[in-house]
Amino acid sequence: MNLTLFIQQLLNGLSIGSIYAIFALGYTLIFSILGIINFAHGAIFTLGAYLTYALMGEAFGFNGLLANAALPIKLPFPLALILGSIIAGLVGVAIERIAFRPLRRRGADPLLTVVSSLGVALIVVNLIQYLVGAENYTFPGNTFGNLPASINFGSGENPIPIRTVQIVIFLVSVLVLAILTYFINYTKYGKAMRAVAEDPTTASLLGINTDGFIVLTFFISSFLAGVAGTLVGSSVSIAGPYFGIAFGLKGLAVIVLGGLGSIPGAVLGGLLIGVVEAFVPGQYSAYKDAVAFGILFIMLLVRPQGLLGRRLIQKV
Amino acid sequence: MAEFLNTYGPLIVSMVLGALLGLSLYLPLMTGQLSLASPGFYALGGYIAAILSTQVFPTNEGSFPIPLLLLEMLIAAIVSGILGVLVGIPALRLRGIYLALATIAFVEILRVLSLNLEITGGAVGIFGIPQPFASPIEYLWVALPLLLISMFLLYRLEIIRFGRAFVAIREDELAAGAMGINPTYYKVLAFTLGSILAGVAGALSAHFLNTWNARQGTFDASIIYLTSVLIGGSRTFVGPVLGGMVFTALPEILRAVAETPGLPIWLAQLLRDGRLIVFGVLIVLGTIFFPQGLVTPDLLKKIKRQEQ
Repeated sequence: MNLTLFIQQLLNGLSIGSIYAIFALGYTLIFSILGIINFAHGAIFTLGAYLTYALMGEAFGFNGLLANAALPIKLPFPLALILGSIIAGLVGVAIERIAFRPLRRRGADPLLTVVSSLGVALIVVNLIQYLVGAENYTFPGNTFGNLPASINFGSGENPIPIRTVQIVIFLVSVLVLAILTYFINYTKYGKAMRAVAEDPTTASLLGINTDGFIVLTFFISSFLAGVAGTLVGSSVSIAGPYFGIAFGLKGLAVIVLGGLGSIPGAVLGGLLIGVVEAFVPGQYSAYKDAVAFGILFIMLLVRPQGLLGRRLIQKV
Repeated sequence: MAEFLNTYGPLIVSMVLGALLGLSLYLPLMTGQLSLASPGFYALGGYIAAILSTQVFPTNEGSFPIPLLLLEMLIAAIVSGILGVLVGIPALRLRGIYLALATIAFVEILRVLSLNLEITGGAVGIFGIPQPFASPIEYLWVALPLLLISMFLLYRLEIIRFGRAFVAIREDELAAGAMGINPTYYKVLAFTLGSILAGVAGALSAHFLNTWNARQGTFDASIIYLTSVLIGGSRTFVGPVLGGMVFTALPEILRAVAETPGLPIWLAQLLRDGRLIVFGVLIVLGTIFFPQGLVTPDLLKKIKRQEQ
């Protein structure tokens, strides 16, 4: 492999890896607070992509209930991305209300909550399919305005062209990660959120509105899923309502690699899996989707707490 | 009668197979472990039967010999059992959600492999799997005894030491460990028994359905069978059997309901095309309002008392 190809693949890997990172952070935030994995996360990812697509004023196909429908507004991509992700976040809050809170109130088995989130995933994905059909949707050609299709990072005689989309994705992801890191580590709300994650009962005794912060966590988590879904959708296409489920399963491999509940772990795990996938040789590309799951298995065998996770000690 | 069997034969056999898959998910749940692997082992068993019957065993004219079918089911059971142990041990040493994660990874790896390997026929799958029986309903000769034997064994299991250990682990793994029960051993055992059952059901299904492809064992299928077990009842083996049967027949039932005259068009359409939305709603409502499922041990006791 020559150097140009190496750098290209590395940047491709970092670009997709940064999406894995923000997506997996959504899993991690909820896991660190509630100790459960929200299987509806992948469905919200799908939803975010469709919402952004719709907010840009693009029409849907002729299958489904909303055949050929389009919103009367045509928002530019950045605005649609933010608004679509906010709506995705609000859907996350609604999901918490309907499917998680009643079980938490009762102190139900975490297993039941996991199952309930699977149910929500099934509803969201199939509702999308029911409304707008199962076809592929591609974001319009001018999504990124007048930016060129690719930017040359090498010299004139030794070009290293990188798709602009990849760079946009990487920059957006880094920006989101920076804001989130600042919020969690350096603001009062972030501190309170970490306190709730550490010990909800003690946190509520100290006057922190635990339920409020759980709602906030669901909002942020689902917002991140919406951003990730939109970024993947705009770089490739929205491959039907189920594309978030497959991505969501891969996100599980990311959090196991990084360590369940570890925020830096989710970022590291995402970037690593992105880069490893990018370096799968072309003739084996059909097996690319299995790589992340192979990594998950190996981690369970050798280091179940993940790269940066804390070893869980069960107290009686 | 003959007409009834011709029309509903395939559905009845599917319902029996659905009940077997329900039981295969119920076994790990007995120890409180969420496994999403049953459709994976089901797909694996199906591929084993499909490959053996189309490529290995001599195919002569006429129907496929039944002893060979049973041999395929046995091989599927052995392979599923070995793989069950291999997947189960790393995941079940750990407490918590790890089995669900490992089984998701397992199902996905199997799916990618079956889509890309030559021997599984790639995305097209395997066609023309030979038929041991003349009509679909005759599959009951194998499927029904299989279900009855499994049910009997589970009925026994629930009252002997092994089953008690399963339940003890589900209620409190640490306490069970302190009582001298080895949680990992019993969890792997329960998971492996479930895998074997799913593999055997898959081997039979491949012949029954005549074709086999990568769509057989997906994440979706995992969720649907999980629903059937949880709604049916996850505290006694009767729940998964009833749940598996009803949920296999549910698409047909919904289709029939959708044809009732006088129903609003949007509702009829939702029942016909939005089957999975209905499933999802059932899962969420079921976990909130019937955490033990519809068929609970208490309910069975009540029925027994009334009979006396």
